[in-house]
Amino acid sequence: MADEEKKQGAGADAWDATQWHVVEKGETLSKISKKYYGDPNLYMKIFEANKEILKNPDLIKIGQKLRIP
Amino acid sequence: MKSKKYWIPILLVIFGLFMVACGSGNKEAATVAIKAAEDSWNVVKGDVLKYIPDQAKGVEDAIKGAKENFDKGNFDAALSAAKPIPDKVKELTTAVAAKKAELAKSWEEMSGGLPKMLDAIKSRLDILSASKKLPENLDKAKLDGAKDGYEAAAKMWDDAKAAFSGGNVADAVTKAKTVKERAVEVMTTLGMQVPAAAAPAPKG
Repeated sequence: MADEEKKQGAGADAWDATQWHVVEKGETLSKISKKYYGDPNLYMKIFEANKEILKNPDLIKIGQKLRIP
Repeated sequence: MKSKKYWIPILLVIFGLFMVACGSGNKEAATVAIKAAEDSWNVVKGDVLKYIPDQAKGVEDAIKGAKENFDKGNFDAALSAAKPIPDKVKELTTAVAAKKAELAKSWEEMSGGLPKMLDAIKSRLDILSASKKLPENLDKAKLDGAKDGYEAAAKMWDDAKAAFSGGNVADAVTKAKTVKERAVEVMTTLGMQVPAAAAPAPKG
């Protein structure tokens, strides 16, 4: 899990503690939720944190960079 | 022959007076030098002890040595010991200023960054606490440990801010460094990405 999150790009702010996940093929918000929280039912936490780029929790795209609260 | 004998005691008296005059001059010079050393030291002593305490001993030992020589009547030695002290004090004043600047920079960086780390940890802990299962590599004991670690870090951060508000920047920075270390531990336990600025330096 840590390795997954370490994939995220380095921002200009070296203190930025935002946790990121880049969507890969076959992933859904539920799968991502399970990966980080152990519980797929918490996917709405991720959706809520990414409302500026997600309009529908069922529609995510490969390569999208999501905040993981 | 007679006249020569007459001059010997006079010369001895003159020589004696000369020596007394020299001794008195050295005593006065040593007194002035010791006072100058103490005065210059007293101005910066508080800051030196606060910011670079390891460098205070040299000056204090030098003043003590000068005084001991003075008390023994070794005025030349007292003068030699006391004379360079104001210059040393000047060096320490510069060193204190550099240390203050370094601490201010550290505080500025950490006071901007640490709240971000603590917020990220709290957010993750809140969600994990509501989770019916835990992700791989995390069990209840580790989660509880992470919660304790977060609470300790958050409390320490409050203490650091209080120390800074109270003007104790050195203490504030020391506490902030502890907060950073604990936050890094918790983030690592939770499998979170540690900000580059807080990541431990590579070993070796």
